[in-house]
Amino acid sequence: MPSTEEGKAGAWFARVSHEISAAWAISRKDMITYYIKPNIIVMGILFPFFMFLAFAIGKNAPPGTLIPGLIAITLLFSASSIEPVSIPIERRVKTFDRLLSAPISLHSLVFGESLSGFLYSLGIACFPLIVGIILFATPIEHVPVLVIAMALTAFCFATLGTLFAAYPTENVGEVMSMLNTVRLPLIFISGVFIPLSAMPQIGQDIALLSPLTYGNDMIAYAYTGTSLFSPLLDILVLVIFILIFQFAANRLYKRFNE
Amino acid sequence: MHAIEVSHLTKKFGALTALNDVNFSVDVGETFGFLGPNGAGKTTTIRILTGISYPTSGTATIFGHDIGSDTIAARLSMGIVSETSNVYDDLTAWQNMIFSAELYHVGRVEREKKAAELLTTFDLYERRNDKVHGFSKGMKRRLTIAMGLVNSPRLLFLDEPTSGLDVQSNLIIRDVITGLIHEGVTVFLTTHNIEEANLMCDRVAIVNRGHIAAIDAPERLKKTIQSAQSIVVSFDRVSARQLEEVRSLPMVNDAIKEGDKFRLYTEDPATVIESVMEYARTRNLRVISISTLGPSLEDVFIKLTGLQRTGGAIHAID
Repeated sequence: MPSTEEGKAGAWFARVSHEISAAWAISRKDMITYYIKPNIIVMGILFPFFMFLAFAIGKNAPPGTLIPGLIAITLLFSASSIEPVSIPIERRVKTFDRLLSAPISLHSLVFGESLSGFLYSLGIACFPLIVGIILFATPIEHVPVLVIAMALTAFCFATLGTLFAAYPTENVGEVMSMLNTVRLPLIFISGVFIPLSAMPQIGQDIALLSPLTYGNDMIAYAYTGTSLFSPLLDILVLVIFILIFQFAANRLYKRFNE
Repeated sequence: MHAIEVSHLTKKFGALTALNDVNFSVDVGETFGFLGPNGAGKTTTIRILTGISYPTSGTATIFGHDIGSDTIAARLSMGIVSETSNVYDDLTAWQNMIFSAELYHVGRVEREKKAAELLTTFDLYERRNDKVHGFSKGMKRRLTIAMGLVNSPRLLFLDEPTSGLDVQSNLIIRDVITGLIHEGVTVFLTTHNIEEANLMCDRVAIVNRGHIAAIDAPERLKKTIQSAQSIVVSFDRVSARQLEEVRSLPMVNDAIKEGDKFRLYTEDPATVIESVMEYARTRNLRVISISTLGPSLEDVFIKLTGLQRTGGAIHAID
């Protein structure tokens, strides 16, 4: 007969397993329902690509050196765009109530929603990665660092998107406009187009508050072997941002349902 | 232990009090109707009982689990069918069922068995691999209810289950609900169809402006307003002025037209029957049928909520 402690541990593992399974089900549902569609995938690739071209053309930088920045903004735009679209739609058709009333924690719901944005954006970011390898033969110095950098950056911005989608509206445009007031400035202050060292001191100080700074820095390190911060510091800061966004999202979803 | 126990539940939205010190309990295996006009607090109550919203004060327990502090355990025993058919249009019927089962922690083997069984019951199995966006309103409603039953709930929240449906869907849904009631499932039914509540519910609560106006068995509620008796009469000819004419007969408090019949409300049925016969004789009409009815649950509802009946419909009094 299992002891009380073993019984508690078993119940805890069963609970965690259920929560992970439910989060995965939410994520899979989102992918089938909203993201694995040709037009969404093409838009996910084209929007960051053209945005990047608009700022990169005329800089006379070798194409290969631009790939890390392109990957960083692709991750930013694709990961953070997912939940601000799907959650207001789900509110409108009342399927979001189904998720809110399911026997899962709010953390699992937020995690499951973010997971779909994370997977979608990783898939999309493979496009500039492959372009860099095939067309420009861009060397990657540290492949494992690149994998970690892309995963953390993607999850960080997916959670940011879930956080903004907590705003209680059924209108996708409302969430997107709020999100864009944050993420568009991020691409200018995070060293993607202008190196941080070339920015004025105030710009460099503000850059420290942007998660894209650390994601971009780590991706650049994976490609070139040089970076502003240590990759370990980048990882730590990105994890802190993920936790802040996750807990803030959890709090906001709870508050807005009161 | 009660299936649902609500104690001093109050919910405020700013200055608006949506629920004010609401108390009631639902026994295990009971079918409990929750009736009230729009804005009475029905949806707020359901949102609190299902853990979507939180009360300003007071408590609610589901099979002894506090919905605020032991939310997941409380939700595991319930199935929820919301007023809107909230299914995923881009998923197939089968994917919708499996997704719902995954949310409710139903094991892999069990979920497939249960999904197949429920889709068959609701006459949707043949269409299981079709995306839901091609389904009719009735099919979507049936799928919504099937999704609410996938975890074999002990307590089922049904919000307007048959509202605006075709006859086939209506019959299937009512049969399934009746079967669940016989199996001992506790049902919390919100409906605008008062006759449905009258036929299905062991007890009903009538809620108005955030308060419970009455809770009792439908028959006992009807006895509280014996004065609201009525006569239903039909004539061989119907004219435009007839409604006004029968309404002005002696001892008639009100009259409405129900199809080709007139329903006359009175406290003195015997006198009204005499008046109706006299009216028919003077107008050279033949009475096809005439019967006396006791008060209906709808009468109780109207009396307790302060609504008004005009032209067969129920309206709020401004």
